[in-house]
Amino acid sequence: MSRKKLYLLLLVGLMLLAPVLMPAFKTQLAMLMLMITFALTWDIMGGQMGYNSFGNIVFFGTGMYVTAVIQRDLFFTAEEYESLAGSLNIINGTDYLTGLFLGLGVSVVVCVILAAILGAGILKLRGHYFAICTLGLGIAAAEIAAGIDYIGAGSGLVPPTFPHEDLGDRGYFFYYYFLTLAAATFTVLSWLYKGQFGLAINAIRDDEDKAEAMGIHTTRYKTLAWCISAFFLALAGGALGNMVGFIDPTEVAFAGATFGVWMVLMAILGGKGTIWGPVIGATVFHIMQELFWTYLFGWQRVALGILVISIVVFFPEGIMGFIRDRWPELLGHKVDLKSSKKGSTP
Amino acid sequence: MLMKTIVKTLPMAGAVCALVLSSTLPANAKVEGDTIIFGAAVSFTGKYSTNGKHTKNGYDLAVERINAKGGVTVAGKDYKIAIQYYDDESTPARAAQLAEKIIQQDEIKFVLGPYGSGLTKAVAPVTEKYKIPMVEGNGASRSLFNKGYKYLFAVLSTSEQYLTEAINLAAEQATKAGKDPSSLKVAIAVENDPFSQDVRAGIVDDANKHGMQIVIDDKLPKELNDMTATLTKVKALRPDILVVSGHSKGAVLAVRQVNEMKVNVPMLAVTHCEAADVIGKFGAGAENTLCATQWTETMSYEDSDFGTAMDYYNDFNAIYGYYPPYQAAESTASVQVFVDAMERAGSFDTEAIRDALAATDLMTFYGPIKFTEAGNNMAKPMVLRQIINGKLVAVAPSRFASEPVVYPRPDM
Repeated sequence: MSRKKLYLLLLVGLMLLAPVLMPAFKTQLAMLMLMITFALTWDIMGGQMGYNSFGNIVFFGTGMYVTAVIQRDLFFTAEEYESLAGSLNIINGTDYLTGLFLGLGVSVVVCVILAAILGAGILKLRGHYFAICTLGLGIAAAEIAAGIDYIGAGSGLVPPTFPHEDLGDRGYFFYYYFLTLAAATFTVLSWLYKGQFGLAINAIRDDEDKAEAMGIHTTRYKTLAWCISAFFLALAGGALGNMVGFIDPTEVAFAGATFGVWMVLMAILGGKGTIWGPVIGATVFHIMQELFWTYLFGWQRVALGILVISIVVFFPEGIMGFIRDRWPELLGHKVDLKSSKKGSTP
Repeated sequence: MLMKTIVKTLPMAGAVCALVLSSTLPANAKVEGDTIIFGAAVSFTGKYSTNGKHTKNGYDLAVERINAKGGVTVAGKDYKIAIQYYDDESTPARAAQLAEKIIQQDEIKFVLGPYGSGLTKAVAPVTEKYKIPMVEGNGASRSLFNKGYKYLFAVLSTSEQYLTEAINLAAEQATKAGKDPSSLKVAIAVENDPFSQDVRAGIVDDANKHGMQIVIDDKLPKELNDMTATLTKVKALRPDILVVSGHSKGAVLAVRQVNEMKVNVPMLAVTHCEAADVIGKFGAGAENTLCATQWTETMSYEDSDFGTAMDYYNDFNAIYGYYPPYQAAESTASVQVFVDAMERAGSFDTEAIRDALAATDLMTFYGPIKFTEAGNNMAKPMVLRQIINGKLVAVAPSRFASEPVVYPRPDM
């Protein structure tokens, strides 16, 4: 077995054991896995394809609502549920799992279709125009959700309470769910980036016109990339609604100001356009954030702000970019010392 | 290649992470030495930060006073009390995580509520799950009390009761003037959040009871920067009552824009006047506004910790430099209720304390506290005050009224 495989196996083992070793941190660890998924899915467009999207939160929130509504409507009428929501033991383990997984399945379909429709419309935009448009998309989604009474409007929606008497500890359930999701996202994306898809979206990032001239169906690839983000974000949102236990349209589901911004920050912090960058960025960001919250009480947002500024100033290419610049040989890049001393650029 | 490097450094990174995380494990548990520790996630930042501050100050004053009086006696031993705070940043997702953190990592067994219904809605399922008692004074939404929660206790009146008194008062005034209450027109503008939507539900119920016509029924966005669209409609439709609910920001917005646009409406009723300090901000501009309140310093309640409601009012001002809005008073009362239950339970067993809480029958400076099966306090009424000559004066219900209501508001 190669060293690489050994370490990867060690990492997987560590991740599998983490909640058992630190049972009090299950929720934080599950959030960490969610953050990794956020950063990875944002990086498909933002890093690999060079399209800065601030609207990915739309798929996350839509997934959250669709899942919760299916969970509700499968077993209750809206009125019936209104008086029950949040009560304990209103649903048994089998029904809960049926509702949750059916809901997740439906939300994946809905979100992918939504991404395809939205993508076909707005992925013709480029650069800042695309970024601004997606920003508006996120805000609009929150406002729309806050106005629909069927999904609780501004009062929010409460997914069925986790039946811990049947299914055991909620913390373990959601940790392993989010771990699987993050691992699946990572595996699928590394596989995709190695193939034609990766080359195509990298080509779009480097020069879209040239890519098109080379015969790449750019809009098709761009839409496909967004659909892939939507796929994983729907799965993340559907489960997070259940984990938090209260879906607020602007603060939890379409939380552009928190999750929506963090996903961008984490990918940039780690190094966008790499596969490990978002993972490292999300891990560092999440741990920093938790530490700030505990030890810099009252100043946590200031500290976070300083962190963000430091990232942009000192590590504009992210942690992975910094390593690549400083110690390129670590990443396997061959450095021709002679020619670099002469100051020639490749 | 890239991967190789990463995997090389991963074991070390993992170890560092584990070390960092484990070092955050606090030593304090529920009771540390002779100190009882409560946990509270409160909004220090974000849109509820003003009210979060009132909540924290209310808790802190209770801690200070109870400790100064010798602390809490449980099973013959004296304990001091302390609170471990966290900032929920006014977001439910964070509040739910922090509740887990308080219970799981800090191993705190007694939770004090956050500010606001939305945040309480996020915390309550967590405390229920771990069977940890929570006493709160700032989550008023009635949707909190129809879930069969067993570990949630709220000292305040539920939100649908906030402004119904204003509707009844208007009906009373109409009858006095020889008009039929059903001829009155009501305009409602409330924030799109759990609390204000409940306030609205209460108003709609009572307006329907009197046969009043609801001519405007607007939802305001959470940013609450502008309600001129609603006020333009008010100018056109000339309702008799305008009701606005949107926490402190909503109160400020309503009073400011009603003045700026010179909107003449016979009755303007809002929530959160005191917390938003509309008198201090707008002076004469706030005149004649009706304000819903959970508690006023002029009420005749008293207890041994704080003396009368007025004593509490003055003591709070002496320490924090501003007069306490009811959000602070009800937070203080929450701590008193918790401590009382601990003393009666005679142990730190959460089940015993829960049962003692359920059996609470306590008189405080904030009012009588007695919980229903659902955990809300039905013993204490809501009061409606009006700003008359720059002072908040109780005008309804009649047993608390110190002056007659000014109705209609003089035109601007």
